[in-house]
Parts: sequence; C-alpha cells; structure tokens
Amino acid sequence: MNATMLLIFDALLLASIIGLAWAALASADARRSVILFIAFGLLLAVAWGRLLAPDVALAEAAIGAGLTGALLLAALQWQPRKTADTTNSEQPTHTLLETGFRWLVTLLCAALAGMLAWSLTQIDAGTAKDALANAVAANIDASGVSNPVTAVLLNFRAYDTLLELAVLLTAVLGIFALGPAQAGYRIAGPVFTSLTRWLTPLLILTAGYLLWVGAHAPGGAFQAGATLAAAGVVLRLAGRDQIGLPRGNALRIALGAGVGMFLLVGLALFALGRPFLGYPPAWAGALILLIETAAMLAIAATLVSAFIGGQPTEEKTRC
Amino acid sequence: MLTTQWLYALSGCLLLALGLRSALLHPALLQRILAINVMGSGVFMLLIAIAYRGPGMPPDPIPHALVLTGIVVAVSATALALALARRLTREQPHD
Amino acid sequence: MTDALIALVALPLTAALLALLLPRIATALVIFSGLAITASAIALLYGVNTAGALHYELGGWTAGLGIALRADGLSAILLLMIALVMFAASVYASAYFGKASERAQFWPLWLLLWTALNALLLSGDLFNLYVTLELLGLSAVALAALSGKHAAVQAALRYLLVGLLGSMLFLVGVALLYAGYATLDLATLTQVVKPGPIAWSALTLMTLGLLLKTALFPLHFWLPPAHGSAPAPVSAVLSALVVKAAFYLVLRLWLDVFADIVTPTAANLLGVLGAGAVLWGSWQALRAERLKLLAAYSTVAQLGYLFLFFPLLLALPPGPARDVATGGLVMLALTHGFAKAGLFLAIGIVQQRSGHDNIQELGGMVQRLPLTTFAIALAGVALIGLPPSGTFLGKWQLISAAIATGQWLWVAVTAIGSLLAAAYIFRILGHAFGNQPYPHQAVAVAREEWPALLLTLTATLVLGLAGAHVWTLLENGS
Repeated sequence: MNATMLLIFDALLLASIIGLAWAALASADARRSVILFIAFGLLLAVAWGRLLAPDVALAEAAIGAGLTGALLLAALQWQPRKTADTTNSEQPTHTLLETGFRWLVTLLCAALAGMLAWSLTQIDAGTAKDALANAVAANIDASGVSNPVTAVLLNFRAYDTLLELAVLLTAVLGIFALGPAQAGYRIAGPVFTSLTRWLTPLLILTAGYLLWVGAHAPGGAFQAGATLAAAGVVLRLAGRDQIGLPRGNALRIALGAGVGMFLLVGLALFALGRPFLGYPPAWAGALILLIETAAMLAIAATLVSAFIGGQPTEEKTRC
Repeated sequence: MLTTQWLYALSGCLLLALGLRSALLHPALLQRILAINVMGSGVFMLLIAIAYRGPGMPPDPIPHALVLTGIVVAVSATALALALARRLTREQPHD
Repeated sequence: MTDALIALVALPLTAALLALLLPRIATALVIFSGLAITASAIALLYGVNTAGALHYELGGWTAGLGIALRADGLSAILLLMIALVMFAASVYASAYFGKASERAQFWPLWLLLWTALNALLLSGDLFNLYVTLELLGLSAVALAALSGKHAAVQAALRYLLVGLLGSMLFLVGVALLYAGYATLDLATLTQVVKPGPIAWSALTLMTLGLLLKTALFPLHFWLPPAHGSAPAPVSAVLSALVVKAAFYLVLRLWLDVFADIVTPTAANLLGVLGAGAVLWGSWQALRAERLKLLAAYSTVAQLGYLFLFFPLLLALPPGPARDVATGGLVMLALTHGFAKAGLFLAIGIVQQRSGHDNIQELGGMVQRLPLTTFAIALAGVALIGLPPSGTFLGKWQLISAAIATGQWLWVAVTAIGSLLAAAYIFRILGHAFGNQPYPHQAVAVAREEWPALLLTLTATLVLGLAGAHVWTLLENGS
C-alpha cells in the first residue's frame, strides 16, 4: 500500500516536472517561461528530497530555482517581451525545409533519449556499483566531517571544488568586463522595507547555520553562500544600492576568497610535505570549515554581483 | 535498477531530449538559455537516480557531490550568458 | 618530478588571483609566472622522458575515491606548446592592450584560461574533465567578448551556448559511464570498459560534445565569428590551443580509454568529416575578405587534417607503424598551434596599424611592417606544409599511412587542401608584397613583432628540424 502510494506520488511529481519543463520551453513569452522554469526548479528540489539527496535539494532550491530565478527575473527587464497585443498572425510560419529540419532535430533528440534509455537497461546488477560509495564510507572518519557529501566535495574530490570556484570567479570577472552594474531599483514602500529589516538578518543567520551544519548534516558552503546572496538580492530589491557588497579591492578579495583559501591551504600542506590538498585527519574538520567559510563569502559576493549585473560603481565618499 | 530509479532515470532522459530540442530550435535567446538548464537538470536527475539505493538505504554520495558542483557551474554559465545577452540588447551602435 | 604536475595548475591559478588583487603589477606577475610555468612544463617533459608516464593522487586519496593528475608523452608535449604559445602571447598582450584598465580586466581571465588548459591536459578523472571543460569554455568566452563590440559579444554568446551544449553532452556520457562502471578514473575505466551499449552511447555522446567544442565541420559554424572578432592575443590562443584541447580529449578517448570499443566505420566517419573540414575550410579561407576570418577558416581546415588520421590509425595495427603515424598527428597539431598563434598575432599588428584587416587594402604592407609580413609568410609556409616546416613532416606521415593502408581518398583530400592553402596564403602575400604605397604610419613595437616571429619560426624551422625528438618523446613517455 505504501509502495503504491509512493509510486503514484513519483508519477505525479515527474509528470509535473516534465510538463513544466515542456511548457516553459514551448512558450514564446519570456515572462511566462521564466516563471514556469522557477516552478520547475522548485519541484526538482522536491524530487531530490524524494531520492534522499537533501544536500542537492537545498542547493537546487537556493541556487537552481532561487538565485537562477532571480537572475532570470532581472533579465526580463531588458528582454524584448512578446506583448499581448501582437495577434496570433505573428505565429512564425515555417517553410517546408524548416519544418523538415525541425522534425529532423526532434527525431534526433528522441533517438538520443532512446539510445540513453536503452543503454541504461544494459547495466548489469553484478558490477561493483557500490565500490566507490563503500570507499567513501570506509574513509569518512579520516575526512574531518561526517556528512558524506561534504566529505566528497571538500576532501576526497576537493580539487573539483577548487576548480568549480575558479569557474564562478571566471563568470563574475567575465560579467564585470562587460560594463558597470545597472542602477538600483526604486526605493521600496514601507511594508517591503520593514520586511527586509527582519528578512535580511534571518537569511544571514540561516546561512551561518547551513555552513556550520554542513559538516554532519545536509548543508554546506554552497547552500549557505546562496542564502547569503539571497539577503543581498532582497536588499537590492528594496532599492538599496548599499547591499552589503564591498567595493573595489575588498570586493575583489571577497570574490577570490574561495579559490584563495583553497590554494593557501593546499599549498601550505604541500610545502609541509603532505600531498596537495591532503589534510591531516586531526585538522581536516577545522581546515574544511575554514575553506567553506571563505567559499561561502565568495559564492555570495559572486551571486550578488551577477544579480546586479556588473561591477558596482566605486562609491564617491560622501558621508 | 529499482523501479524508482527507472522512473527518474527515464524522466532525466526525457528532460535532456526536451532541453536539447529547444536549445537547437527555440527562436528566443532566453528560452535557449533555459533549455540548456533543463538539459542540465536532466543529467542531474539521471545522476541522482543512479545514486538512489531504495528507501532506508544510504544513497551513493558521489553523484550527489557531482550534481552540487554541476548546479554551481550551471548558475555561473547562466549568469555569464545573461550578462552577454543584456549587453547585446543594451548595446547602441557606437562601435 | 610529480611536483611539476601540481605547479602547472597551481601557478597560473595563484597568479590569476594575484593579478586580480594587484592589478598594478599584474603584467610583471604574468611574465614571471609564465616563465615559472614554462620551466615546470620543461621539467614535466624531462620527467616523462626519463621516467615514463607520471601521476599524482590529489589529497593522497587513491584514484577513484579521489582525483588523479596524469601526464604522458603526448600531454607533456602539448603542455609545453601551451606554455610557449601562452607566454609569447602574454608578452604580445602586454603591448597590445594600451590602457591599464583593459589589462586589469584581461590578465586574471587570461591566467584562468591558462589554468584551464593545463588542468584539462593533466586531468585523469572524467568528471574533473567536465569541470575543466567548463572553466576553459567560460574563460574563453569572457576573453572573446572583451572588446565589447557588438559583433564580438554576439559571437561570444553563441560560442558560450554551443560550448555549454557540448559540455552537457559530455556530462551525459560521464553519468552513463558512472552508472555502468561505478568509476570516474580514466585509468580504471580503460581497464574495465567493455564493448556494449553503455560504452557506445557514452562514447557517441562525449565525442559529439567534444566535436562541437573542437569545431569539426559541419559543427564549425560558431568558430569563424568568435575567433574573427576577439582581441588578437585571444584569437591566437583560441585557434591554437583551445580547440585543440577538445581535440586532445577526443584523441585520448578514442585511442586510449575506448581503444577496444571504437570501430573502423566510426573512425571513417570522423575521417569524412575531417575531409569536409579541409575542403570547406580552405575554400572559405580563400574567399574571405578579412585577414582574421581567413585565419579562422584556415583553423577549421587544419583541424580537419587531424581528424583524417583517425581512419588511418585504426587501420594500422598497434605497434611501431601506428606510433609513427601518431607522431605525425602530434607534429601537425604542434605546428598548427605555433603557426596559427603567430599568424593571429601578426594580423593583430596589421589590424592595429591599419585600422582594418581587409586583404584587398593591404598593398605595400611589407614596406612599413617588414618583420610582421615576414612572420605572416613564415606562418604561410607552415600552413601550406612546405619543408622544412613541421606540417611537412606531419603530412608526410599522413600520406604514407594512407598509402600503406590503401586509403587513397585521404591522399587526394590532403593534396587539394594544400593547394587551396597555397592559394589563400599567396593571395595575402601578393597584396602585402605589392608596390603600392602603404598609407598608414606603422610603428613597429618589438614586444609585438618578436613573439609573432618566434612562434612562426618555431613552426617552420625548429619543429621541422628537431622533429625526430617528438617521436622519441612520445615513445619514452608512454
């Protein structure tokens, strides 16, 4: 009975996810697409929770749906929107060749999905598919944390995470190179302003909690960084140009903090005769927390910078 | 694989195909960026389904870590794509 | 010796951070770290040559649970090419970007691109390769858009979307392999992978994604606008190194990891696409009106030659004959790397001095820019494949292997491609050496002219004359 209920839940959830993705991508209206996409992200977070991946669920809700959603909503401001008064005659008409091409692409995509599904049927149950999971479990005591996902991200595969922080840094530097940030929004009304007054500290507290708890429970630097960034986004929406984001050199330090701390720890250990990024087990927990704190700051600064769409203009000191 | 894994893995394949089709065919830039994100979600679903071991069993943490990395890479790429697109629409012919 | 593996990633990444924090001394930092990276690449090549393939387990975790860095003869040779080309282009860029604010934006992204190239060549882990591909893609796109001009931003956006599509296809392959074999370590995978739907599908998806990134015909559509509108030093490394990094991965997958999976039919398909690239790319280069577009289409063509090797290598039995042909392939990739980087740098000088790069209006260029024109001519020698360039040796092996395996079609394609290359090179030189008065004040800057000249000299003379070492290094480093 329980299994049947769960099966029905799975089917409904997946049908909604696929339906939302379809609707978001089929629409010609940018606003509609973005809102459907955000809903799609939130349901994905439910799916990750259902598959016992709470760390991913948190990240999806905070980053996948949350911050990406905020970025997309901000993008709607300049996106040429299909207005409602354009009649249906605007529906693009395709020549025979174009229609043929569309069908060809559709068929190829279907073939690809089919090929993938067929390959999945060929996975033999006999292979040692738990070999790596077992290796993680066997070494977790030496990793400095008890949450296996954090252990993989910050210890066993820390090098991936180092390069991933470099990807974030690259993206924000690429955005900065494209020009200065946009002007802020209008100053919000009193209700929203008072809302931000308690929402902001709450988000900051949550970020700190997520960072701390990541060592042994779902959470970690990325979820915490995204939550911290959300505080910046809220302040920005309230019309503040001062959104807690430092300027100039301090901002550059914040953006590079994640990669910098990682390298510092990695190279210091290397200089002491240990492997690059090889933490001594006794110190691993503390070093991971140190790296995660720096990473959280970098992620938050990066995401807020991306949201405001460029380098904040250097403030003229006029206090 | 378990039935649950099958359901989610197949849905992942479907999302991948949906995203790929729109990424290649959709006329609007914003939707093409969304489509690539949907493709990514499809791959993530495949990975999380692979990691699942049934109710009450601890899942394989490695695909979870990979997906977390993937989500951050995806938001980086999306942010850069949106910034480029904004620059394109804001751009006045002064070059 | 394994310290060099770490240094090749940690040095450019540390330098990127320092260049971000200390923009005033960034140029000096880049030159200093460039020298250190080049020294590390030489040390790695030396180590691989004496001790064979090297590997390093990051964090001290065994590969599989952790990530391993690996280097063999092939990757060590390419890493040295990357170091030399990036270093020469860095010297050039220090003069090319006149304003301090431009350099402040340029250097950190430039060093991140360098990090990505080195990390990709060294990675021994499937998922880590995906991350390096994304790092490479995003830094390349950010650099390509740097001028902020409409055409550049538009081309960069298309480049980004195509690149992301490619990475996604690659990542699906990674997921499938993890589902099938529960490992991400390339060396482990090489041993356990078996012919079957999982391996075939994964290889197809990953290859498709990488072909998009390496711009193999007919997936090359994004390359000419992106390489043609980026700043000159960026165009140089995009054409010489970035597309080649994706090609390197295809080579690695087909010849190493999936060596037991690939079939001659599939290799023939790559060969046919390569032939299409040679013919179409050369033809478009001949028709191009701008120098930079000519150089970009020539890249499409030159990448085609590399893919012609796949059906030949698959037809040769593993052993000395195949190794000799592989050496020819590496030689061709190396020569193109040096020659094309030098060509783009030289074109950048022409473009800055003349204010345009229209081939028709470059008459008499040799009078004012003799060294630059000479560099273009040298690059031309290498692109056509005249002796003593490395291309000559590479094409020689290509043709020998084609004759030995009775695949005459590729001989014809190589011949036609070389004739077309001669035509498009002599078209430039015909204008440049013309006796019309050159209307522009052209002041030559040594920091710009010498890198271009040294790179093209390497392609035409050094590689051609010292070519035998490449084969030795490949053999010792396996």
